[in-house]
Amino acid sequence: MSVSARIKFGRRGPVRYLGHLDMMRYFQRCVMKCSLEAVYSEGFHPHQLLSFAYPLGVSMETDGDYADLVMKDGADAGKVKEALNSVMHEGIYVREVRILGEGTLNAMASVAAADYELFVSAEEGLQEAASRILAEKELFTAGDGKKKPKDIRPGILELRAEGSRLFMKLLSGSALNVRPADVFEGMKTYLPEESKCTLIRRLEIYGTKDGKYVPLIEM
Amino acid sequence: MDKAERKLALTHEQLMSIEKPARYTGGEPNSVMKDSWRLRFAMCFPDVYEIGMSHLGQQILYGLMNSYEDVWCERVFSPWTDLDALMRREHIPLFALESQDPLKDFDFIGLTLQYEMCYVNILQILELSGLALRAADREDSDPVIIGGGPCVFNTEPIADFFDIFYIGEGESCYRELFDLYLKCRDEGLSKREFLIKATAIEGMYVPCLYDVEYDEKGRLKAMYPNTPGVPEKVRKTIVKDLDGVYYPTAPVVPFIQAAQDRAVLEVMRGCIRGCRFCQAGQIYKPVRRRSPETLLRYARELIDNTGYDVISLSSLSTSDYPELKELLEGLISFCSERKINISLPSLRIDAFSLDVMNKVQDVKKNSLTFAPEAGSPRMRNVINKGLAKEDILNGAELAFRGGWNRVKLYFMLGLPGEEEEDIRAIAELCNDIAMLYYDTVPKEERKGRVNITASSSFFVPKPFTAFQWAPMDRKENFLEKAAFTKRCVREQLNQKSISYHYHDSGTTIIEGVLARGDRRLSAAIEAVYRKGAVFDAWTETFSYERWIEAFEETGTDYGDYIYRERPADELFPWDYLDCGVTKAYLYREWQRAKEAVVTPNCRDRCAGCGCTGYGVGICVGK
Repeated sequence: MSVSARIKFGRRGPVRYLGHLDMMRYFQRCVMKCSLEAVYSEGFHPHQLLSFAYPLGVSMETDGDYADLVMKDGADAGKVKEALNSVMHEGIYVREVRILGEGTLNAMASVAAADYELFVSAEEGLQEAASRILAEKELFTAGDGKKKPKDIRPGILELRAEGSRLFMKLLSGSALNVRPADVFEGMKTYLPEESKCTLIRRLEIYGTKDGKYVPLIEM
Repeated sequence: MDKAERKLALTHEQLMSIEKPARYTGGEPNSVMKDSWRLRFAMCFPDVYEIGMSHLGQQILYGLMNSYEDVWCERVFSPWTDLDALMRREHIPLFALESQDPLKDFDFIGLTLQYEMCYVNILQILELSGLALRAADREDSDPVIIGGGPCVFNTEPIADFFDIFYIGEGESCYRELFDLYLKCRDEGLSKREFLIKATAIEGMYVPCLYDVEYDEKGRLKAMYPNTPGVPEKVRKTIVKDLDGVYYPTAPVVPFIQAAQDRAVLEVMRGCIRGCRFCQAGQIYKPVRRRSPETLLRYARELIDNTGYDVISLSSLSTSDYPELKELLEGLISFCSERKINISLPSLRIDAFSLDVMNKVQDVKKNSLTFAPEAGSPRMRNVINKGLAKEDILNGAELAFRGGWNRVKLYFMLGLPGEEEEDIRAIAELCNDIAMLYYDTVPKEERKGRVNITASSSFFVPKPFTAFQWAPMDRKENFLEKAAFTKRCVREQLNQKSISYHYHDSGTTIIEGVLARGDRRLSAAIEAVYRKGAVFDAWTETFSYERWIEAFEETGTDYGDYIYRERPADELFPWDYLDCGVTKAYLYREWQRAKEAVVTPNCRDRCAGCGCTGYGVGICVGK
């Protein structure tokens, strides 16, 4: 028998320049290093059953990202957290682990929304720009040769400025996925030309439970 | 130190404007941060991160030096062309990965020289560091530039750029060198005084302390020390006991995918085979090995410290490791319990190895590799590659019965004394293997056609080999021979099952010049660098024409280094160096090659190469 451990993790500092595949490899190696009782796939090349909720873009920090790891029965949340943190370093760390109840939807399929914090080079005009975006009915991404412009306004659930930082709650998942960089791009129309976003940090990822957004760790 | 607070040399915008920023941000598991030190060493691999991080030698020295409390060793790789341009445009000095500090602040910059085609990248590293390219133009306050690795067995083409070359195995003398450096610094001695004293340490060659003379034909006439107390000959330094020496069981694990992303167990150094084209086989002598107990202990430590899911055995010829069976049994039991794959390169294909591969490898029945190097038995005798056609066919037959249907074969073109029939034999050997498949595997069991891939490289004579006197083929001959090989393959009955590829001939010519050239080549290397050459080891950035222009502009008669057979009494630029094997032995081997006579391997009978002088390893029965 096996269980799934939901791992909530953070990533800050220079490791933010890792890509999604690098992160997956890093986690797999951490599991191998601390000899966690992971369940491996069948077949010629057994691999860990580890899946991430939402790929972290290169240069994005996070305080609340998630991975699910299939483990042997009897896994203890506290011990898993402790074991992983004993081999992790450089600003990647496990914040919380929860052993999921049977039938819980996996993290990737659960993603419905996410919170973000954006660090902007200047405070000037930020609140104003946020209000303007919220006042509009639609906001189209620029699009390019491959991607068609899409309207992301319905996916902006919250947007406000706090000093030189921006806070956003954005719709995520298969129906409409809104990237924080696209929202900032849209705000640029109302911002001084030299305004730049220097850091994007994901704060939390939510699923839905009884029509409410709930952090994935509580699902 | 909290690594999450580590500073970076490049800004967010700079990092986001280049490919794979994680090449330059450091902080990988097992990388070493220090708060205090007396000596800083920048260990550079003059190629991209993914290549350099796959290199065991760098991991050994990095771990060893950082095990010294007073030394902080950091890593540096060549910035790819995108970052190179950015650094020049925005005047950013080259930095080390750990501290992100400029290289100019270091005491030593060490460059590992793994292949000749990285030479222009040495200049890139020096220039981006803000240092003068030539040792003579650098200041006393500039770092000491030291080179090591297999290419130091002919240092002369790059001699002018370096302060010291470390000839031999890094584990043995770095501590001694550092102690001397710290003492000289404390006493306020000049860099030159330090360098002179350094020549008393085994393996240290300081090029500026030697003068060279050329005869009227422009060939090397003499090379001698120009300073009292400096030895005439420099002797390669080696590790006497592999079991007792430092081994990196907690190597730095790259975040991004490296070329070889796995735990590496170095089983042996040196090779008993004595293939006449092979430089590694001579310069890493005498053959020494680690015990299975040591290796199994390292394997466990490596997995615990890295989390890798593959372990690879490394040596020049793992089949010649006497306790292979014992080692593999131990590894298999440990690895199956931990779900780890074992990778076995350079293993002869026979019943034993196929059985092992069936047990340990991620068996998608990947292709099997043979390296006959030459097509005909006569040619294989010339190069002393003791691989009979029957061995290849027997190995292939076993493999086909075991379910493999893809075979890779490696050959060389342009070997000394090569005739058309030797080249035709390459195609015939491929055809015979294909036929064998159809004879061995019944129709109903075949999964499509057998797939035979033959690749050929062009032969480059290297220093300290029997072929150091040999002429190299001309570029146009290489291409003709490759075309002829292709035609021969197409004439075979099973030609549809055979695909044939060959290496770039331009790179080969330049590699040949750099391999056996002398001190005057530094002008051409600098000239080609000034014309924009960088990353010559990459086909996308290499330009043959640029090199030829540089040779012309600097008046370099490059053909003289490669196209003529060198006479018995010719003085070589690497003759000052004693790597254990004697010139007399190599010359005997050159003569035996001309007669196509095989020399037995050194476990069967000592060939008197001269390495017994080291008094270790196989020479004394270990």
